[in-house]
Amino acid sequence: MPSRNKKGADKVLNFIINQQPVQTDEPRGMVLLDFIRDVKCLSGTKEACREGECGACTVLIGTPRPDGSVSYKACASCLLPIGDVDGCHVVTVEGLSADDTLTLVQQSIVDHSASQCGFCTPGIVLSLTAFCLTSPDYSYEDALNALDGNICRCTGYVSIRNAARALCDRLAKTERAPEKRVAALISAGVIPAYFNAIPQSLKRLPGPSSPPCGDAVLVAGGTDLFVQKPEALRESELCFLSQRRDLDYIREEKDGLHVGGAVTIEDFRLSAEVSRHFPSLKNDLLLHSSTVLRNKATITGNIVNASPIGDMSIILLALEARLAITAKDGSRRETPLSTFYKGYKQYDLACGEIIHEIFIPFLPRGARFNFEKVSNRVYLDIAAVNTALRLTVSPDGKITDLRLSAGGVAPFPLLIGGLDRFCGTAANAATGAEIAKTVTASVKPIDDIRGTAAYKKLLLNQLVIAHFAGPSAPGTSR
Amino acid sequence: MKLTDPLMHVRGASQFIDDIVTPSGCLHAALFTSPIARGSIRSLNTQAASSASGVVAVFTHRDIPGLNQVGHVIKDQPLLAVDSVEYIGQPIALVVATTRRAALKAAKLVTAEIEPLEAVFSPREAARRGMIHGQKRALTDGDTAAAFARCKHIAQGKLATGPQEHFYFETQRALALPSEHDTIKVCASTQSPGTFHHHIAEVLGIPQNKVEFEIRRLGGAFGGKESTAVWVIAPALAAFLLKRPVKLVLERNEDIVTTGKRHAYEYDYKIGLDADGKILAYEIDLYQHAGACADISLAVLGRSFLHVSGSYRIPNIRATAVSCRTNIPPNNAFRGFGVPQGNFAIEAAISHVAEKMGVSPSVIKRKNLLQNGDTLPYGMKLEKTNAIRCWEELDRQIVIEKRQAAVDEYNRKHADTKRGMAVIPVCFGISFAQTALNQASALVNIYVDGSVSVNTGAVEMGQGVNAKIQTVAARTLGISTDKIRVDTTNTSRIPNASPTSASTGADLNGMATKNACETLYARLCEFAAKHLGLPTADISIKENAVYNKDKRTDLDWDKLSAAAQWARIDLSEHAFYATPDLHLDLKTERGRPFAYYSYGTSLTEVSLDCRRGTYKVESIDIVHDVGQTLNEVIDRGQVEGAVIQGMGWSTTEQIRYAPDGKVLTLVNSYKIPDIKFCPAHFKTTLLENSDNPFAVCNSKAVGEPPFIHGLGVYFALWQALRSVRKDKDVPSLPLTPEKVFMYLHE
Repeated sequence: MPSRNKKGADKVLNFIINQQPVQTDEPRGMVLLDFIRDVKCLSGTKEACREGECGACTVLIGTPRPDGSVSYKACASCLLPIGDVDGCHVVTVEGLSADDTLTLVQQSIVDHSASQCGFCTPGIVLSLTAFCLTSPDYSYEDALNALDGNICRCTGYVSIRNAARALCDRLAKTERAPEKRVAALISAGVIPAYFNAIPQSLKRLPGPSSPPCGDAVLVAGGTDLFVQKPEALRESELCFLSQRRDLDYIREEKDGLHVGGAVTIEDFRLSAEVSRHFPSLKNDLLLHSSTVLRNKATITGNIVNASPIGDMSIILLALEARLAITAKDGSRRETPLSTFYKGYKQYDLACGEIIHEIFIPFLPRGARFNFEKVSNRVYLDIAAVNTALRLTVSPDGKITDLRLSAGGVAPFPLLIGGLDRFCGTAANAATGAEIAKTVTASVKPIDDIRGTAAYKKLLLNQLVIAHFAGPSAPGTSR
Repeated sequence: MKLTDPLMHVRGASQFIDDIVTPSGCLHAALFTSPIARGSIRSLNTQAASSASGVVAVFTHRDIPGLNQVGHVIKDQPLLAVDSVEYIGQPIALVVATTRRAALKAAKLVTAEIEPLEAVFSPREAARRGMIHGQKRALTDGDTAAAFARCKHIAQGKLATGPQEHFYFETQRALALPSEHDTIKVCASTQSPGTFHHHIAEVLGIPQNKVEFEIRRLGGAFGGKESTAVWVIAPALAAFLLKRPVKLVLERNEDIVTTGKRHAYEYDYKIGLDADGKILAYEIDLYQHAGACADISLAVLGRSFLHVSGSYRIPNIRATAVSCRTNIPPNNAFRGFGVPQGNFAIEAAISHVAEKMGVSPSVIKRKNLLQNGDTLPYGMKLEKTNAIRCWEELDRQIVIEKRQAAVDEYNRKHADTKRGMAVIPVCFGISFAQTALNQASALVNIYVDGSVSVNTGAVEMGQGVNAKIQTVAARTLGISTDKIRVDTTNTSRIPNASPTSASTGADLNGMATKNACETLYARLCEFAAKHLGLPTADISIKENAVYNKDKRTDLDWDKLSAAAQWARIDLSEHAFYATPDLHLDLKTERGRPFAYYSYGTSLTEVSLDCRRGTYKVESIDIVHDVGQTLNEVIDRGQVEGAVIQGMGWSTTEQIRYAPDGKVLTLVNSYKIPDIKFCPAHFKTTLLENSDNPFAVCNSKAVGEPPFIHGLGVYFALWQALRSVRKDKDVPSLPLTPEKVFMYLHE
């Protein structure tokens, strides 16, 4: 790996922390948490796991939109390289209440005693503040989802839920329109007044200094990369997919959805286009990591991470997704996701190539989609087994097409082959059981930390049966 | 009353160890630990680490000026290994560098040639080989053999409970600041100021009066910061030797892999009931998975042992308990301190025998619930028992029998999903079972401006002990809480303090504070009487002012303080408290080890998705006895937090080990409850009209007892699983989705 070139104007990063413009030549791969605590000596942001598993280090990242307004999202600062916040507004807990007055979120936590030891509290404050900035209707459900990455070992969450509910009640009549949101939340006491000036301040920053990617490591969110090898990345040349604004789009065309390579999983989950055509994904993807990670993690990152158990890959395999790939020289090619994986962490992407678009065809007429995932903890956990099915049925109830994927049972996300023979059979539970038997016989899972091979095999069998048995029982699996 | 700490927590303004602004030149320490579960150290190579960038020093056992020993009760644990290692993660060398990253990197460059020796990881196997800590404990009350002969229903079996990682958010850490005359100040995240203060002095080879040990607050502890002093002493050693400030902060996975956990236990149980469902006999053998050093395991074992009968009257009992020496990191205290494990077996035995009888376990439990006049197996006679009151209050709210009927009905009607419920009563002895620890002192200072500083040995770790002590002081002095600051826990102000554990923090330190404040109150009333020319009997202090009978005088608290000081009245008081009438004879296992008991009853209901083997806690209803609460908000928070921790232990919190003893479960696979795990219906009722003359202001300890309610998930799942099939044994705790699935489908 090329050694980092520490000094030089092109290496300087410019962003704003709270109200203070920051210029730094620290390595781009230094994680924001270290920069906040060790360089800026802001100790309110806590380090508790450095793997995005707890949410104690949550901060707000405000990214300028093309119209000049700023979009705020909660992110885990322990997995976020500072190179990725170039040109952004970073908000830590110190940036919420400059004096002794508390924000509405802070006051709600105090009023409901939703803080015991206090170590996780700043992260919870930031996640709930992000909820206020992003929820379309300040719903309690959104507030709970916003906290899905914030673990607390002391309170047992009852008081945190009470605080969240009270916050929602307080905001019920607050202006919801996105363009008026910041002003409304300032007057409601959720964020301080200086947020008003941030869009102008960001404009005054020197533009992102991103050098051409060259041989640099491309970070596509980095929420798993920075778990795997933070030290190596700190010393590496990095470039960031998030700065390819041209790849941040979801377009509905006549054949299907065209999803830019820089789209995050959370933006995808909440996209109106996705909800229109694949309505179950909004809930299915809540099972993918947590809000603070989904806000950075990208679909392409999930694909090239090539985890045998990647939720996004499993979903996209069943949906017959195709990848559009650009090489260093600008030449383009397309490949189906189903032939992309070659072995454990091996895939069809040459050095310098990037996935610039994922194409997801609409469901064929008569088709339905179902995703199943079982993990030790329901949320914020990696699956023991996950599987997705796209099943197309003729008006007379016969299977005309089926695509079934399974994770956790092979060295890479697997599209199960050899199921064509079930086309023409009745789409019912009996066929489902037959298919499950065939699928299970074809896989060879291994014993690992997510479960024994025997468990995974039997579980896959049941999950395939579940695909054909209709939606899961309310209140149990989800 | 509003708590003051959360006001800072929400602003990120509260200081934990790593938030303290360090002096320039502060160094950072990291440990090289054993990669092998048991072996002889042939050679140790620190050369590469020493010459690595940023490294200032590498220390081994040879560099220790005093005693190379951190054993908490038994002196069996060196700070740095000498010629052998007994578990993976045992500290061998201490690397000190200019940055934390450099220290961590360099620690990976240390190498050791270790000749592996056979290691033992099974507690039963260790017991078979005689590898135990201390002595096996045995208790007999009545005659079980004779009683079993009279029993109509008998159930017996083997079960186990798993380890639990504390997962306190602030990992183990300390900052050591050396000063003149070989003195040192250590700021640490620990529950045991007194013991650790002593350990530091011993290891450094200096008297305790040269060590100042200070604790502001902990980012969670749950028992995991009570005994093992390695991570506090290591930076102190480096700072002492280098005469420079040194900090050590464990990384999360280092903490998971190298620190102790809740003890796993294995059980052999046998229970016998008469035709009416009365328990006649119970036999229980406990095997405690202690780890390589005794640490605090024998105390934990003792508490399990004294709680094997749970909340039930058992006329004939035979219990044994043994602490097994295995080659894993020494396990230590964890909320409940062995009681959850001791209770688990009797709850399992009752569920088992009830199933054989074809009745709901709650029927058996109610029939055998403790009441006034009952005697526990160790000879303590119960008074002021609230076991039945808690049960009846819950039954009044829920109608347990009806709820069971609804569950049974649901299960008859549904094949793909099932329901299960469990009622769990709690009877938890309060006091350190080791009598000597039941002492505390307080130092209360009133300043001339009327502000008050309270110092005790209690450690604030989010459980609200400071707020409770503040309340006690305010009530006793007749002033408002905003005049009172509970200061840091500091060994120069409060020496020899017992650990803040066993739920006794507020009981003991609150009582010492009350004693000190009562003395000051009397002294100030006497002064005020003289000052105002009134009879002392007419004087009182309330609402920040001196009262003449019911009339407020012009002498307010601040003026009173200044006037008293000017009149040469001592405004400072030290007081002491030792819980009276505690004793336990270890030879006969008879005595009065606890001052009183904390009671509760809960009902947990779960739903089970049979196809996927997944489940959800639908609801929990709790009635819990906290006496006359010192702070209702704190007590509710303690109940809720403990219950969810208990639920985590019962369900998803599983630790897997490799065959060589290595912990495989790291932060990305150790799953503690998240916000969506918490049942949508969570209702806590604090028992009304409960008084308790045995603790401060009639309150009761609350930190640990509610943890037991978390067992309800395990037993509710038991019921749901048994409604599907009964042709094999229910798996041990924790009931992970994997175990549930395999029970249903394998």
